[in-house]
Amino acid sequence: MHNTEAKERVSAQLHYELSQHYYQEATLLQDAEFSTWIETFVAKDLHYWMPVTERRYAKDKRPEPTPYDMAIYNDDYDEVKDRVARLLTGAVWMEDPRSTVRYLITNIEAFHTDKDDEFVVRSNFAVYRHRGQLEHSEHVGCRQDLIRKVGDGFQLARRKVSLDARVTEDKNLYIFF
Amino acid sequence: MDKLVDTKESTQSKKVFWDQEVYDQEIKNIFGRSWLFLTHECMLEKKGDFITTKMAEDSVIVTRHTDGSLKAFVNSCTHRGNSVCTADSGNTKSFVCNYHGWVFGTDGKLVDVPLREKCYHDELDRDSLGLKTIRVESYRGFVFGCFDETAPSLEDFLGDWGWYLDTWMVGAGEGAELVGPPMKSILKCNWKVPTENFVGDGYHVGWTHASALNVLGGELGGLAGNQAEMPFDELGIQVTTRHGHGFGVIDNAAIGIHAKRDEYAKYMEDTIPKVAEKLGEPRAKLFNGHWNCTTFPNCSFLYGTNIFKVWHPRGPHEIEVWSWVIVHKDLSDEGKREVVKQAARSFGTAGTLESDDGDNMVQSTHSNRGTYTREGTMNSTMGQGYEGEHPDYPGIVGSSFIGETSYRGFYRFYQEMMSADSWDEIRANDEHWADCFPNKDYWKDRLAAKAAQAEGE
Repeated sequence: MHNTEAKERVSAQLHYELSQHYYQEATLLQDAEFSTWIETFVAKDLHYWMPVTERRYAKDKRPEPTPYDMAIYNDDYDEVKDRVARLLTGAVWMEDPRSTVRYLITNIEAFHTDKDDEFVVRSNFAVYRHRGQLEHSEHVGCRQDLIRKVGDGFQLARRKVSLDARVTEDKNLYIFF
Repeated sequence: MDKLVDTKESTQSKKVFWDQEVYDQEIKNIFGRSWLFLTHECMLEKKGDFITTKMAEDSVIVTRHTDGSLKAFVNSCTHRGNSVCTADSGNTKSFVCNYHGWVFGTDGKLVDVPLREKCYHDELDRDSLGLKTIRVESYRGFVFGCFDETAPSLEDFLGDWGWYLDTWMVGAGEGAELVGPPMKSILKCNWKVPTENFVGDGYHVGWTHASALNVLGGELGGLAGNQAEMPFDELGIQVTTRHGHGFGVIDNAAIGIHAKRDEYAKYMEDTIPKVAEKLGEPRAKLFNGHWNCTTFPNCSFLYGTNIFKVWHPRGPHEIEVWSWVIVHKDLSDEGKREVVKQAARSFGTAGTLESDDGDNMVQSTHSNRGTYTREGTMNSTMGQGYEGEHPDYPGIVGSSFIGETSYRGFYRFYQEMMSADSWDEIRANDEHWADCFPNKDYWKDRLAAKAAQAEGE
């Protein structure tokens, strides 16, 4: 599901377009424009996945986690849409007053795949959330996406989010990565 | 320390969520003397399998030893104290300390020491230098550890709570197990805030979780915002038992939280009659309910939603939350995947309902930073007097799943452990523990009135 083979790197022009797409996505998320994000930046066949990865010894040969295993996020399109709907109910008490969330998206590497309109894109992120007076948290990790060219833009079809921390230092993770 | 809880007024000093000296006594009297959840046997199937976990702030290794038995020991080298295992889990023949290379077996015994002949002159007493061992016992495959040799057996510690746990741990098929690896996160709250919430807070569900329930719909959706007119005294019960373990149950709501529930719903439908046959009608009714529970002191779960949690304390104001998922062993693979996914979606690290709780738990703790705030007490009087012994269900049973019977029962035993010098002192109170629930005839009267009403109709 998340193992589309990455082939040659994309051209400078395409890399620029994809990078702009990622910055626009970050802007939507940090401005809480979740409806626009889910409706225009996300494909209906989405799989949005954040596996749980144990700390294991190098000699340990057990397989890497799959979407059939325990995961922090393991959502299809409708399930992500439900998360968006919840955030927009007006009954998420802790988001009033709102948190500020900042996305730093870097190290964007984009590759062609077997399909002309689909690309594998890897990126790193640092997400900072501030809330109330002094409350803050940060999450660092990487994403591996399958991105599809649709019309003038792109849509997210697969996203595997890997957090670097084994223990999440935050009270919840209802933010999107 | 003897007056933190007032069982008559049903209040607790706010110090219990903040003071370092209270916390230090908890670590000694409660975490040092109770059975603490470690893991499930399904994670230690083969000889040499190990997991690392914590008992309060102590790092612990649990293994399946070469003789097939379960062992648990403190993860600290007996030479200079370094950890001897830094992985979450795995399979090994031994644990080798990174510092000087001391080697311990899967039973914790010291089996090899570098330069033992040349530099220790062959005089090191290896037999006395094994890793500190911990009592380990297992209940229906759920593995617990205890630092106290004088504590009762795990089965006795669970007591009547075991009768309730059997509802799903034994159930009708092959029982239940846990799916890991656990999600782990930090929550800046006192360990008792989520513990008390899970033991008996049906009250917060409609308000705290209004946003998630609105989106979820279904059986539980009606609770959103406390808008619906519901006969709360007819929808479930709360229970507390001798050693503070307790729960609340919402009838017929086991699968309520699961949006995609086909396999699970079918499993429940097929299984309930078998539970009735094996364990009787009262537990068959519980089998189909949704439970919020805490096994004293810090292991909580939601049966139905099937999230299973340990709240590891990290000082008075912070915990590490570990979350696994409960699955019935004989549920289909597809059904298990549904359950794991939906449990994580609702009460995992990014769970839509979990998200609502965390903030309350942090603020309920940190508001007590203020000296004058902390002078007060907290109130848990809901449903006081509307509880007592029940003909079908052991322990003390409260009238509704929205009540604070199991809060009161949790803090009753909390105070007992904080005050008692020994397990003998606790045992001496076995006959009188329920005296603080004085309405002995509550259920007798209520059930008689109900029967009379039914006859009249």
